[in-house]
Amino acid sequence: MEGIFAIWQRDLMKFVRDRPRLLGSFAMPILFLIIFGGGFSGTMENLVMNQTSEIEDFNYLTFIFPGIVAMTLLMTSIFSSLSVIQDKEFGYMKEILVSPVSRVNIAIGKMLGASTVAFMQGVLMFILIPVLGVTYEWSNILAVLPIMFLLSCTLASLGLLIASLLRSTQGFQLIVQVLVFPMVFLSGALFPVTNMPAWMDILVKVNPVTYGVDAMKKVMTGAGDLPVAAQNALGLNLQLFGRTVTVAEELLFLIIFTSILITLATISFRRANA
Amino acid sequence: MEPIIQVHELRKSFKDMEAVKGIHFDVAQGEIFGFLGPNGAGKSTTINMICTMLAPTSGSVTINGYDAFKQKAKVRESIGIIFQENTLDEKLSALENLKLHCRFYRVPKNKRAERIQEVLEIVDLVDNQKKKVEEFSGGMKRRLEIARGLLHYPKVLFLDEPTVGLDPQTRAHIWEYILRLKEKENITIFLTTHYLDEAEISHRIAIMDKGTIIALDTPDRLKQQVGGDVIELGTEDNDAVAAQLQSAMPEAEVKQEADILRIQVPSSDQFISTFLQQIRVPITSLNIRRPTLNDVFLSYTGRDIKAGPA
Ligand SMILES: Nc1ncnc2c1ncn2[C@@H]1O[C@H](COP(=O)(O)OP(=O)(O)O)[C@@H](O)[C@H]1O
Ligand SMILES: [Mg+2]
Repeated sequence: MEGIFAIWQRDLMKFVRDRPRLLGSFAMPILFLIIFGGGFSGTMENLVMNQTSEIEDFNYLTFIFPGIVAMTLLMTSIFSSLSVIQDKEFGYMKEILVSPVSRVNIAIGKMLGASTVAFMQGVLMFILIPVLGVTYEWSNILAVLPIMFLLSCTLASLGLLIASLLRSTQGFQLIVQVLVFPMVFLSGALFPVTNMPAWMDILVKVNPVTYGVDAMKKVMTGAGDLPVAAQNALGLNLQLFGRTVTVAEELLFLIIFTSILITLATISFRRANA
Repeated sequence: MEPIIQVHELRKSFKDMEAVKGIHFDVAQGEIFGFLGPNGAGKSTTINMICTMLAPTSGSVTINGYDAFKQKAKVRESIGIIFQENTLDEKLSALENLKLHCRFYRVPKNKRAERIQEVLEIVDLVDNQKKKVEEFSGGMKRRLEIARGLLHYPKVLFLDEPTVGLDPQTRAHIWEYILRLKEKENITIFLTTHYLDEAEISHRIAIMDKGTIIALDTPDRLKQQVGGDVIELGTEDNDAVAAQLQSAMPEAEVKQEADILRIQVPSSDQFISTFLQQIRVPITSLNIRRPTLNDVFLSYTGRDIKAGPA
């Protein structure tokens, strides 16, 4: 256990000391907020209002914001997993690997490091709430925090698995670029992903971000309590095998995704040094 | 007493290249055991296999009674290793690096502060412990790595080329620290080097070349095997002298090098009294010395250990 804690704490310590990284990871989500929040919101609001009469005062930003936060979690947790490759490049990984810390604890420690960093970034995004003029119930904000952390764990495990298989930072960046953007666009973070063509629908359903985003939106906006018609109009009627999935099921999926990915990453660490 | 390290028929192939070709040796508890060989001999590959960091193609290794390939966690607890390349976190301070190490190795919490200061003292870094490692010189980094390797009181300390790339003065310092440590803790030390003078501090030396151990003994006995004296003779016509020498002293081994003759004889006295007086060719240089480890390597392989810029 102490090994997990040490590895985790080291990554946090390094993150907090690295100012440029702290600021840099805000740039992209804010850009998306401007584009989707400012540019599209009028169109989207009309679209939704026309579909249902049950929502009177609809603010699209309220619904896009949890998606943007999820996107921040995705990018930060995957990019933070890059530290595994940096540790390999700068040699520190050998110090960790030659120690008696078990391989699964190394994987968990590294995963927790990246997901905590992502989680903190995600929470920092909340300072934008008053700026954007959106409002959420305090209780909903608190309730969404564990979901955010869980989603970060899933995505950090994915990043960790990729990083454990690679040797160079460049290779990682390449893979991340072909992975991160589809994962954002096929998750419902920025626009509804209901009524997609069948092949795309499969991609949406195997994308862990989909479940995280859906759960975050439902919990944060309290939309889970809205009438079904309204939920449908907002793209919150995520279906799996013909039935609408609940928040609890979504969290379960995230836990399953995480366990599988961590197991694979552990195997990969074990192979790396025989 | 049971040897602390037992290596049996250890082999490692990388794709089509056999880097370690079935080596076999034991290291006794408390011994300083040196691995000497040129670059590419397979020293790091061997050390990495013994330290559980590389899977062997075949063979077995036992350390402190544990199987290095089946009881890795136990072996890892028993050893400290200073890799050939830097493995410090340069963004952290020296102290932070040491604290993390204590946690990886579960050094008892109430002993940590004390042990950290103890190892810092051994390597003379007490005053620099708060500095970030990236501000350290090459020698300081190396010393910090040695200190870190000692923190958990390993039974065996592995040092893979601990002084490579350092200036001679720093190298001498580092060896001073290692020997001081040896005296204090009586741990077993396994080191590799391609510097001949450094290998001399070992109790026993294994000379490695092209993946095999070609000789293994104490430095003195290795040199005795070469025997006699080594004479380095420069003349204005080395070819003529070499030919003359072959007929006059058939027992002498003669090798032509760049501009000298390296002559190995049972005793230099006889050489001087009988042969040196006979030659007519003017002598430009003459050096008589006892055999070195390089002569040992030379006599086994016919090559010089490329000792690098020493
Ligand atoms: N990971 C590897 N893949 C392929 N070849 C390797 C690898 N590691 C070492 N070698 C080769 O094995 C030989 C021995 O290398 P090494 O053990 O590093 O030698 P030394 O430490 O004695 O200088 C060299 O020829 C080297 O190129
Ligand atoms: Mg080497």
